[in-house]
This record gives sequence, structure tokens and C-alpha cells, in this order.
Amino acid sequence: MDVVFFAIFMAIFAAVFTFLGYLGYKKTKTADDYYVAGRSMGPIVIAFSYGATFISAVALIGFSGIASVFGLSILWLAFLNIFVGILIAFIFYGFRTRKMGLSLKAVTLPEMLGNRFNSTRLQSVSGLIIAIFMIAYASAVFLAIASLFQVTFGVSYQLCVIIFTVVVGLYLVVGGLYAVMWTHAIQGILMLTGMLILTIVIYAMLGGVGPAHEAAADLTPEDLGIPLEMGTVSNPWSFSTGEETIDLISNHNPNASGFAIDFINPPDGRVNISTNQDIVIAFNYQVAPNTKEVPDRFKYICDPDPGGWTEEWNENYTQVTLSHTDFEIGTSYTFEVAAAISGIGSPAGTQAPNGLTSMPPTLSPPFMMILTLIFGVGIGVLAQPQLIVRYLSAKSEKALRRAIPYGGIFILLMTFTAFSIGPLCNVLMINNGLTYPGTPDKVIPLIVSELLPEWFVFLFLFAVLSAAMSTASALFHTAGASIGRDVCEKGLMKGCSEKKSLKITRIATLVIVFATLIIALNPPAVVAILTSFFFGLMACTFLAPYTLMLYWKKTSRMGAWAGMLGGFLFTMGWYVLVYFKTAPQIIGSSLINEYVWNMLDPIFIGIPLSFLLTYIFSKLVLQDKEEKKIVIKAFENI
Amino acid sequence: MILGMDVGVFTAWILTILTAIACVIYGIYYEYLKKDEEEKTPVKKDKKQKKGGK
Repeated sequence: MDVVFFAIFMAIFAAVFTFLGYLGYKKTKTADDYYVAGRSMGPIVIAFSYGATFISAVALIGFSGIASVFGLSILWLAFLNIFVGILIAFIFYGFRTRKMGLSLKAVTLPEMLGNRFNSTRLQSVSGLIIAIFMIAYASAVFLAIASLFQVTFGVSYQLCVIIFTVVVGLYLVVGGLYAVMWTHAIQGILMLTGMLILTIVIYAMLGGVGPAHEAAADLTPEDLGIPLEMGTVSNPWSFSTGEETIDLISNHNPNASGFAIDFINPPDGRVNISTNQDIVIAFNYQVAPNTKEVPDRFKYICDPDPGGWTEEWNENYTQVTLSHTDFEIGTSYTFEVAAAISGIGSPAGTQAPNGLTSMPPTLSPPFMMILTLIFGVGIGVLAQPQLIVRYLSAKSEKALRRAIPYGGIFILLMTFTAFSIGPLCNVLMINNGLTYPGTPDKVIPLIVSELLPEWFVFLFLFAVLSAAMSTASALFHTAGASIGRDVCEKGLMKGCSEKKSLKITRIATLVIVFATLIIALNPPAVVAILTSFFFGLMACTFLAPYTLMLYWKKTSRMGAWAGMLGGFLFTMGWYVLVYFKTAPQIIGSSLINEYVWNMLDPIFIGIPLSFLLTYIFSKLVLQDKEEKKIVIKAFENI
Repeated sequence: MILGMDVGVFTAWILTILTAIACVIYGIYYEYLKKDEEEKTPVKKDKKQKKGGK
């Protein structure tokens, strides 16, 4: 890919967005303009902005890669993305949020909570939680996209991060939510075009929907990649050196099942072999063709080690001849195949045990992984502060209603397509002699760069860049508003003017953009770990107080505090101490090592717990007079 | 197997498409078949205004 083309298109990209930023700046006169685009957005912009914020580059590339490993069962997430993320979100949350936001004169989720429960401290604390985790989440988004561009264009990672952050920061700080939402509309169109073409091309390559799914269903675990079955022939085995060169002896292993060694030469116990005797190992299935990306593809140990090893594989990758520096004469050697992976080396062989187009066995580890993803993201969407702002920006309830079909179609064309093509990539890799690229997020880029024309590679990269930029700009905007409006204006500098407040928010947004840049340039490992659970954390923290605030008039300030902090602390604790993916990386090992429990996403306990705490504390500590007055005001339009 | 998918996966597949269709039907219903409250309110005001001669 030509780096000059990249530079030209990036410049055009930046110019268009900066121009929109300028238009946004001209239109931004009040705080409402900056925070909620003057509450004047129409249905198409709302739908595209909501979708583009919701669907990040991680969702496009990361989740389709995950689908290539876990199979089409991840389509349940696509279903929840539309059912919960659009229908439930807009109908049960969007309309009420907009109305209550208007009544309470709130422009952010923390401000809604603060105004509804008459507590600036609640607003400041929730704003702080949102800002901290959004900075980490935004840096993870940039990390992913910069890595992709580095691989494709060869542009340095640092330069990519700086360019992307500066471009987004520029139009966001200048143009506020107007610029963010207008750019989202353009970015959304690019994302739609890229994903739609990619999906159509991949299904066409495989002969249509039915044949493509059948081809994926026909793949065996051995085709995809399963680890070598140990113990079917003598492994490790021993031989000693002398002067005899032996011919290949085919001691075919009749008991080999699954993926196993078929025969070895020299055989176990052979003595007097020549010092330059090659080691020959044959397998009953293809070993993943040579790729440095899969570390356990083929590993062997020779003790003592003569060194100078070279591998020579046959055409089918079923037999390898290992040459080496000459053995010592009169010495006994032990040789072991320590690891090998069959097929294309994909973890799909073990992670989709019932096949790529079937559900995994109930409560099996892959089932739990999918369940975690589905509910973490599928339910978590309801309490994402950056999405809630979209409801507040609607010019009318009608605009929100009209956004539903556009939103539904947008999410269908993004997630349904991305999740459907993931598993099919395995078929394409096998048909085209490609190997699993090592991590799921590299699967789609591999297919695009190897099998599609260069113009499409270009379009696809900019579609992914759009997805990253749109999510990041929404996160920056929300985080900036949280710090500027919720923490500084309402917490630290009470009673400052609207103009000053806007200035503070712009500065806060700049600080956040800068902080993200610093983190993305030197990302600590813990950022990537915790940010992958951002949706779940936000849901456990805010879903209960937010839902009950909208629907239960008796929700009290203390109830909101208890639900929010209880959900937050429980979720953080679960990720740090128990959850199998995070706990080992943070404290070394999970405190609860019992299966199912340590794989259970905190959302399953955190959300009910948060609801329970909000309810119990609202009953225990009732609303005061002021709160009761606010409730009447908050519900006056509902 | 339906379209190469088992029942669990096919259910998710078809539900995703049906939910997207439901979104479209919802939009059509509110756009063309149901008059929304925000549209009704100004009409009432207009009638009152006409009666009052303003």
C-alpha cells in the first residue's frame, strides 16, 4: 500500500473533518450547543452518530476475528445489538431520557443523575468515573487502529497515534457535538460501504449464503487447528549415534486418532545411526504452514542439542525433515515433538468444538466466553454515557422514533455482516493456502489484504479508521463534558457563567485528548485489560440508578449512590480478584478458581446487585422534600 | 441444519434479521400510520387561536 496515497487521503479526511469542526464552531453559541448540539439533531444524524459511536473499530475487526474463532454463535450478539441496542434502548430509554433531560436541563448522564437526585457530588463522582475509564477506552481504540495502519502502511505507530489524536481532537474541541455528529454521519457512510462490499464479496467468493455456511460447517477441528495428541507414538524417543545411515522406515501408527504423529525416523531405540542422520517426522494431518505468528505451531527439543536445525516440509505440510549440525559419535540423544498445531493453526478447532456454524456445548468454556461477550456488550449498551448523549441531542421525540429504523439497518449492516463473515474467513484461508495470523484481530485484515483488490484495501482501512475516529470523538466529547461540566463546573467551581463553563469544558477536552495521546503512546498492559470490559463496567455502575431514575419516582439520592457505587466496586473487585481473563494478569491468579464462577462476567451479578442496592437504599433512606419537588418536575413531560 | 447452521445459530441469524425488520416496521408505523402527539398539540392550539380570533 502506497504511503503517499495514505498521506493524501488522510489529509483530505482531516480537511473535511476540520471544515465540519469549523461549521460546528460557528453554530456553537451556548453550552447546550456544545454538549447536546442544541438539542436539534434529526433522525438520520442521530441514527448514524449512535451507530458509529456504538460500533468501534474493535467491534468491526476484533469481533469479526472473534467470530472466526468461536463461530457464528456470536450472532446472538448481533441480535442483542439491534434488539437491546436499538429497540429497547430508544423506546424504553431514549424517549424518557430526552424528556427528563429537558425537564432537568441536563446535558450529560452525570448531570441528569445530579439534577434528579439534587446532588452535585453524585454528578461529580459519576463524571470522574466516566472520564477515567473513557480515557483508557479511547486510548485502546487508538492503539488498535494505529497498529493496523502501522502493519498496512508501514507508518510508525507513534506517528499514527499522533495524527489520529490530533485530527479528532481538532474538530471535536472546536466544533463540539455538532462537529462530532456531522462527522459521524460521514464516517458511518464509509463504514457501511466498506462492510457491505466486504460481506457481499466474501459470500460471492464462497458461492452464496447457503454454500458458504455449509463450507464453514464442513470444516473439521483438524482442518482448523487442534494441538498435537501426545503419546500415540513414542514421544519423546531416543536413539544413539554410530556410523550407519538409515533409510526412511515407515512404521505407520494405526492407533493415531485426532491429530497425531504418524511415524518417526530414526525410530525409538535405534542405535548406531550416522552423525548426519536427518530426523523425519510425519503427521496424520497437515501441520499449520510456516508462520511465526503461531508460537506453538511446531516445536521440538533435542537433548543434547547439536544446533543448526533447519526444517524442510513436504508440499502438504504433513512431513518434516529436520537437518542439524552433526551429532556427536557414540552419544545417546532424546528427541521430543513438544507442540504442533494442525490445519491452519486457528484456535477455532478447539474453541468451536461443534463446528463453526453450531452453538458450543452448554456451559463449556467457549459457551461461557460467548455468553460473556453477548451480555457484556449486548446489555451494557443501555448505560453507555456516550450513547445517552445522542438521545439528549434529538430535536424531538419524533426524530428519535424516526431514528429507530435507520439505526436498526445501520447496526444490522455493521454487526450482522462483521459477525457473519468472521467464520467464513477460515474457509477462505484454507482455500487460499493462508495461515491463521496469530491473533483474532488480524484475521479480517489478512483476508482483505491478501484476497481483495488494492482499492478495496484502501476503502476498508478508511472504513475502520472512521469506526475508530467516530467512537473516539464521542468518548472524548463525553469525557470532556464529564470533567468540564460535571467535575469542574458543578463540583469545583460552582456558579460559574455558561461562557466560562464552555471554556473549561474545551480545555478539559484538550487535556483528555492529550492524556489519551500519552497513554496510547506508552500503553500500560492494564489499560488494554480493563478497557475491554468498559461496557460491562458502565452498565454495572449506571444502569440501575439510570433505569430507576427514569421509571421509579421513589428512587432516592441514597439509593442512587448505593446502586452506583455498589455496582462499580463490585465490578472492579470481580475483574481484579476473580475474572479469569483479568485477575491472573493483575494479581497473579483468580481468588475463585472454580470453573464457571471465574468465567462469569460481573454483569450477571453486578447489575442485579446494583438494582437491589438502589431499591433497598431508596426504601431505607427516603427522598427529602427538595427531591420530591424535583421528581414532580422531572416527570412533568413523561 | 438450516442454511448450513444449527438450530441455535439459525435462531440468532433469523432473529437478527427480523429485529431489524421490526425496527423498519416501527418507523413506518409511526411515520405513516400513527399521528404523533407532538403533531397533535400545535393543531389544537391553532384551533383555539382561530376561535379567539388571534
